[in-house]
Amino acid sequence: MSEIAIDVKNLTRNFGKFTAVDHITFSIAYGEIFGFLGANGAGKSTTIRMLCGILSPTSGDAIVAGYHVSTHSEDIKRSIGYVSQRFGLYTDLTVEENLQFYGRIYGINGNAAKARIDEILKMTGLSSWRSRLAGELSGGWKQKLGLANALLHRPKVLFLDEPTAGIDPLSRRAVWEILYQLADEGVALFVTTHYMEEAERCNQIGFISAGQLLKIGKPSELKAEISANLLEVECEPLMKASQVFSRIPEVVGLTAYGTTLHLNVTDSRAAEQAVARAAQKENIHVTSIKSITASLEDVFASLTKGARE
Amino acid sequence: MNNIKAIAIKEFIHIVRDRRMLMMIVLMPLIQLLIYGYAINMDVKHLALVVYDQDQTYLSRRLIAAFQQSAYFDVKENLQDATSLRRSLDRGKAKAGLLIPPDFTKEILSGRGVNVQLLIDGTDSNPANVALSSSQAIVSAFVQKEGLLSAEISPLDFRPRLWYNPDLKSSYFMIPGLVGLVLQLFIPMITASAIVREKERGNVEQLLVTPIKSYQLILGKLIPYLCVGVVMYLLIIVAAHLLFGVPIRGNPLTLFALTTLFLTVCLGIGLFASTIAENQQQASQIVMFFASPSILLSGFIFPRETMPTFVYYIGNLIPLTYFVKIIRGVTLKGVGLFDLWDQVIPLMIMAVVILWFSISRFQKRLN
Repeated sequence: MSEIAIDVKNLTRNFGKFTAVDHITFSIAYGEIFGFLGANGAGKSTTIRMLCGILSPTSGDAIVAGYHVSTHSEDIKRSIGYVSQRFGLYTDLTVEENLQFYGRIYGINGNAAKARIDEILKMTGLSSWRSRLAGELSGGWKQKLGLANALLHRPKVLFLDEPTAGIDPLSRRAVWEILYQLADEGVALFVTTHYMEEAERCNQIGFISAGQLLKIGKPSELKAEISANLLEVECEPLMKASQVFSRIPEVVGLTAYGTTLHLNVTDSRAAEQAVARAAQKENIHVTSIKSITASLEDVFASLTKGARE
Repeated sequence: MNNIKAIAIKEFIHIVRDRRMLMMIVLMPLIQLLIYGYAINMDVKHLALVVYDQDQTYLSRRLIAAFQQSAYFDVKENLQDATSLRRSLDRGKAKAGLLIPPDFTKEILSGRGVNVQLLIDGTDSNPANVALSSSQAIVSAFVQKEGLLSAEISPLDFRPRLWYNPDLKSSYFMIPGLVGLVLQLFIPMITASAIVREKERGNVEQLLVTPIKSYQLILGKLIPYLCVGVVMYLLIIVAAHLLFGVPIRGNPLTLFALTTLFLTVCLGIGLFASTIAENQQQASQIVMFFASPSILLSGFIFPRETMPTFVYYIGNLIPLTYFVKIIRGVTLKGVGLFDLWDQVIPLMIMAVVILWFSISRFQKRLN
């Protein structure tokens, strides 16, 4: 966990007047799983494309696997793997033919290819599917094939763009087991996701919004940071309460969770009193008010709301 | 080199696995061949002829027999009056009607000469022309054969001869051109859709992050379709030779080399269409857009020499125009490269220009 796999400094990309990625800076070590979170259109894909060497940055620089993205994109392509969200392999080729094809592109031929394909099929559990057409696989197996394919040439850095979007929980767990194994072997993993439980599994997460990296840190640190200012209020009626509470100056963010409201506040003690007063005045029945430990979803909600204001 | 091979191998698997594509490769040229070879027969023969013979003599029957034996006319009916003869033409039952006057033999033998009338249905100009010219030939042959001409020798003995296609078989004319037409329609279409498919299905996204270069991708994709084109070419030319007896009088290798050149242009068109189209359907629409000008203006069916100047120049932009001349030249006339430079050079220029243009467009689109 020492050597730096991805080192990003002030990376920026403009499309005309629009700034898709705005001076982001972070670094990821080998063996680390970095979760990249953000709403759709926040700049995740643009960042990945720059780091993979297929889109050149407008300014700033990034070093991936020891190569500068702006000058050595070809070397980067050789040392990274990429699993796209959309299945990018050939549906009318078998599992094995797909792997053989990509093997050839990375210069893995003959017996070496055979051995490596066997190995990778075993690792991903795809061995019994090798002669199936890729198009006949279910979503989970397709994603595993995508992963197997990206690992063929033993990349040192692996990019995964929503690798488990739309697949069942069991397959998702299986994919993550492979990812952990890779991290153990020293591969740096860069994962984008919309699933908070998945972000929870990362060593480090970064939040991007409107092209800016708002926050970066370990999941536990990020949660602790906002937990100090998070109140859970159980009350009814909920709709009315959320309107009333959002007008309180100490409340900066408000999200409904089932029968409760989560309030991001500036000062929990002052806010607690303000909420109680407002409830009484507006005839809202409050069952309980307490400080709680934030989930990552709370972190995500508070960050994206903060960014919008 | 390895990357090109990898792409090409993959592409061949796509082709072999796609049943519909395989059927198209084999059946489409054969079906076209049968349509143009058998059905679209522009040889005008066996025109229906009705006769009203008012003379009913040995000589008049000999004249009718001369028409019957010529193969241009089939005597359908002997009529008894002029009205029903006219009605036969009106109703389209006959294309021509022969009217022999009552004193046909008498007038001829008396040396005064006689009028024999042939009424021809002129609605369709092509058979009408054939009826006109062949009937003149039949009659003058009849006059000579029966010794009805005075012995004076004509001062000018004019003897036209048909070269290359003495029987004027339209299949000889159509089928070599058809080879070019099938290739120009089919090859750009499958090339374009093979490239667009990769975009459509998100395969390109995956390829982009590999060390493959765009020129390798292009070559790897084009080579298999060049092979498909060669297979189709061989299929048609062999079938044309075996089924229709189309001769190959020139050097088959010259023809093969020039076909490959023509195929290169076709691949370029396909690549170009793929850089415009968003999906496979659009790609084939773009290619089909050029189909009808190619059929009509290339000289495949209609002679270009009679076209208005403007249309003639449009024809100059169609690769098929040159290939039709090349393939007819080699198969029917037996000419070699030396006589074909005028066609080969434009094709070469087209190949270079369209490939260069499409490749640079393709690369731009990738980035």
